[in-house]
Amino acid sequence: MVLGNYKNCVSARAADPAVLSASQDGGIVTQLFAFALEEGIIDGAVVAGPGDEPYKPEPIVATTVAELMEARGTRYTICPNVAMIKEATRSYGLDKVGIVGTPCQIQAVRKAQLYPMGMRSVGDKIALAIGIFCMENFPYQGLETMVEDLCNVKMESAVKMDIGKGKFSVYTSRGAVSQIPLKLTHKFEQPGCHVCLDYVANLADVSTGSVGSPDGWSTVLTRTKKGETIWGKAIEAGYFETKPIEDVKPGLGLLTKLATEKITKNQKTLDERATFGVDKGLRNPYI
Amino acid sequence: MSKVVEISPTTRHEGHTKLTMQVDDSGVVTRGDWLSLTPVRGIEKLAIGKSMHQAPKISSRVCGICPIAHTLAGTEAMEASIGCIIPDDAYLLRVILQCANRVSSHALHNILSLPDMYIPGTDTHINPFTPEEPVRSVAQRIQKLREVGQTVGEIVGGEPIHPSNPRVGGMYKNISPRAQTKINDLVKEAIPLARDHMDFMISVFKDWDDRPMASVAGGKEVEKTEKFGFHDQGYMASDTLYGSSSLDLDQKWYPERWTEVRPWDWYQGELEVSLEDPDYPIGGTTPVGTKVWPAMEACTGVPLYDGAPIETGPRARLAMFRNYDRKGAMGLQIARQMEYMDCLYGMLDAVEALDTNGKVIADDIPQGDGTLGWAANEAPRGTDIHLTKVLNGKVQWYSLLVPTTWNFPTVSRALEGAPWQLTEVIMRAYDPCVSCATHMMVVDDSKKVVAQKLFQ
Amino acid sequence: MGLLSNLKKIFTGKKPEEPEAAPEPVTVPEPVTVPKARPEAKPAVKPGDVKVEKKPEIHEKEEKPVAEKITIGHVHMSGCTGCLVSLADNYEGLFTLLDNYADLNYCLTLADVRDIPKMDVALVEGSVCINDHHSVEDIKKARRNATIVVALGSCAAYGNITRFARGGQWNQPQHENYVPIGDLINVDIYLPACPPSPESIRNVAVMAYLLLRGTDEQKELAAAYLKPLMDLAQRGTEACGCDLIYDVINQGLCMGCGTCVATCPVRAISMECGKPNIDRDLCIKCGACYAQCPRSFFNFDVMNQFEAIGEVIDAAMGKGDE
Repeated sequence: MVLGNYKNCVSARAADPAVLSASQDGGIVTQLFAFALEEGIIDGAVVAGPGDEPYKPEPIVATTVAELMEARGTRYTICPNVAMIKEATRSYGLDKVGIVGTPCQIQAVRKAQLYPMGMRSVGDKIALAIGIFCMENFPYQGLETMVEDLCNVKMESAVKMDIGKGKFSVYTSRGAVSQIPLKLTHKFEQPGCHVCLDYVANLADVSTGSVGSPDGWSTVLTRTKKGETIWGKAIEAGYFETKPIEDVKPGLGLLTKLATEKITKNQKTLDERATFGVDKGLRNPYI
Repeated sequence: MSKVVEISPTTRHEGHTKLTMQVDDSGVVTRGDWLSLTPVRGIEKLAIGKSMHQAPKISSRVCGICPIAHTLAGTEAMEASIGCIIPDDAYLLRVILQCANRVSSHALHNILSLPDMYIPGTDTHINPFTPEEPVRSVAQRIQKLREVGQTVGEIVGGEPIHPSNPRVGGMYKNISPRAQTKINDLVKEAIPLARDHMDFMISVFKDWDDRPMASVAGGKEVEKTEKFGFHDQGYMASDTLYGSSSLDLDQKWYPERWTEVRPWDWYQGELEVSLEDPDYPIGGTTPVGTKVWPAMEACTGVPLYDGAPIETGPRARLAMFRNYDRKGAMGLQIARQMEYMDCLYGMLDAVEALDTNGKVIADDIPQGDGTLGWAANEAPRGTDIHLTKVLNGKVQWYSLLVPTTWNFPTVSRALEGAPWQLTEVIMRAYDPCVSCATHMMVVDDSKKVVAQKLFQ
Repeated sequence: MGLLSNLKKIFTGKKPEEPEAAPEPVTVPEPVTVPKARPEAKPAVKPGDVKVEKKPEIHEKEEKPVAEKITIGHVHMSGCTGCLVSLADNYEGLFTLLDNYADLNYCLTLADVRDIPKMDVALVEGSVCINDHHSVEDIKKARRNATIVVALGSCAAYGNITRFARGGQWNQPQHENYVPIGDLINVDIYLPACPPSPESIRNVAVMAYLLLRGTDEQKELAAAYLKPLMDLAQRGTEACGCDLIYDVINQGLCMGCGTCVATCPVRAISMECGKPNIDRDLCIKCGACYAQCPRSFFNFDVMNQFEAIGEVIDAAMGKGDE
């Protein structure tokens, strides 16, 4: 259950080299939204667009492939995508909205659909919710410290950041790679992430992330009928190269392991919060 | 001999009101009072000291049926006080909102009016909720028109009920070209529906006017009287579609013509109910022996224009700007239907004129020096006037003269000469919206201040 | 997973066993028992103009598991009717609700019934002016006459803008004090926001129908769905954008998703340093931001089945694909 309900799981990457060129891993999110846009499955998508400062993304409503391309790549900091979900259906005039988000953001989207108190005319318009695997996130100031002080790279110089194999890596425009052990980054994690019980965006239509697949590829889980249908059409249309997840390394085993680690760790945090004070605890949102 | 009968509460309109009437031996009203019983939330008082940005958000919540009118009147009153001119494209967005709200509100009012009406050519009252045809198709058409209005309200206003996009200084956001196209398409879809619907509704109201006998839904048929719902009061309107404000060069509403009297000068004193009809639908009228005191119970003041009650609303707009002249309760109902098309074409014009790249917020938003500003908005039910003084960004004084407040004393006069059993039909013709109509009495002193300030 | 395993059958499937007629739901508090003040008790006549005849042929393809509708009343206190308009903004869905699931047996704005009758569900809109004895009588009567009381919208739930009321306005300057209905009566379900969306009102209406008229399985689903809204009703009658500060950010729960920004009906919230910033000069105390926040409540038992529940509701509203 740590991987949630899913229908299918594959390892995949975008077939379009232009998409792959600046994507984090397999370019799944960009390529799938581009397909959905071209097919009219969505009118636009809420994605983490470039902000005013480097690596400080702002949510944007992308309605063209060019705008999607601008938003490629992972920024290891918070982009409040759900903040744009209503505006997308309002002044942007979208009827079929795509949204990409971390597991917690996809949870927010589903709550907005099932309990839409303050989300008039939003739920029915969510046409494709893509979730990305997420262990935890960093507030911008935390990320800045990690990159500039610990990795000694100016934010402006960084072209890509990555977490994997126990390291946080920053790639610069001059070709250098600066790495720090992941354990140094823990103190900069967003505290709100430590109560999260979802690693692989269990509630998305399609979830994706690098874990489980070889470099340059992403693991893709299709979860809902909607996700399954759209993914199927995209494959049929030749938008992705895929391999069975069973045939790739490290495969689902690693994904399950990391998901279990996250949930176990955070469940422990939740338990500790219950008795945090003296006869007093911190609030648990899940009960 | 005259008897006292009371319908309380009245139904099928927004808010709580009652009709307290003296009737002659044949049950015809000789003196009628229609008064609000809605508790006074005191919007005008609770806005004092609040930020000028919050006050219009609060006044929007005066009414959920015409929230756009109140938001726009409130926002523009603030802008009038601080002397802020908004960009043209912000104005166009507001015009679109205005039209959208009127379509939606008029359509909702059709649902409230229909139960008193008959399927033409039959003696069957129209139950808008029945799944039977031909009514269901009409009801679906009403909902479709409402959907168009409310959807445009979502796109342009952020929300159709209590719009979030309008702000002091303009609008938070312009809309995208896609949204512009969408509005265009929605309106074009609605135009033929609205035309059919207008024709249908007008035929229904004319059919009612032509009947010798009538009843309210489920009530006893009684003989109608000549000149049903006529009154001799004048009309007040500031525009056919949008409104006017104290920033306009050519102002269309005149504060110096406004006077206000207190309910105890206007409404009846203490009375005892002496006529009762337990079969009046549904639940009967107030029991005989009940003591009533309209002058004490009324929750609104009585605003006068040139010293007399006036009518405001669809007929007033058409009478003042288009020489419309059909009187009586059905004359007003028909006028309302005739506004559908104007709203839709108005929306189309505005959305076509809109530059989606245009700026929608003023460069300079002054904080206000306490000058009095007013904005009159032609709400679905009539002229909705907000007056305010803003000093250093805070509201110092706020007053709302909302349509139904103007119409209360006029309706009271229109009741005279009608059989009491049909008086709710007259009242409903005005599409009362009563939660709004809880207006502060302005004592004479401050009224003079209002007039003087404006003339200086 | 057992909870919703047979969901599809609930609305679309074959006719399950006929449930018992409206047993008292275990999960809903009994209405407070108040000594009968007035024996007037007019018979709860169905309003002529809202009565919806039983008419099976239109929806023949959907054999509904139960025939008996629930009764819903709309009780208007000191509000603006925006919540009722929101209900009406289900457009055709309003007719589906009234045709199949609920008789609107009291609603001054839409129907001619003048006195609050017995009803299964009271949707109460607006706060209560305690200086107006009619209002106080009405809210008590609504509680006595309704099995389930729903605080529909933020005025009923939290006071909303009426929290700022302080009287002084003619013609009733003594109308000073407005309280959320939960300060005077026990409230079963909260549905905050200004106004709550049409979809949320629809969902609560459908779930109330399942709770009161459904099979055991349907009751279980409805109870699970409604539980967080019942918990909100227990949480208290005060709300403010500051709840995000107190109960989410300060508690170490905020992860910066931005839901509150999208939710706020007066655009009082922006994201600063990845967390919501509340412009308290704009906040109207509607409580929508907190209620909508995924870290105020998040019930996995329901949420994990979002797809199936969405299908159930669509099917109930005649919108299902299949």
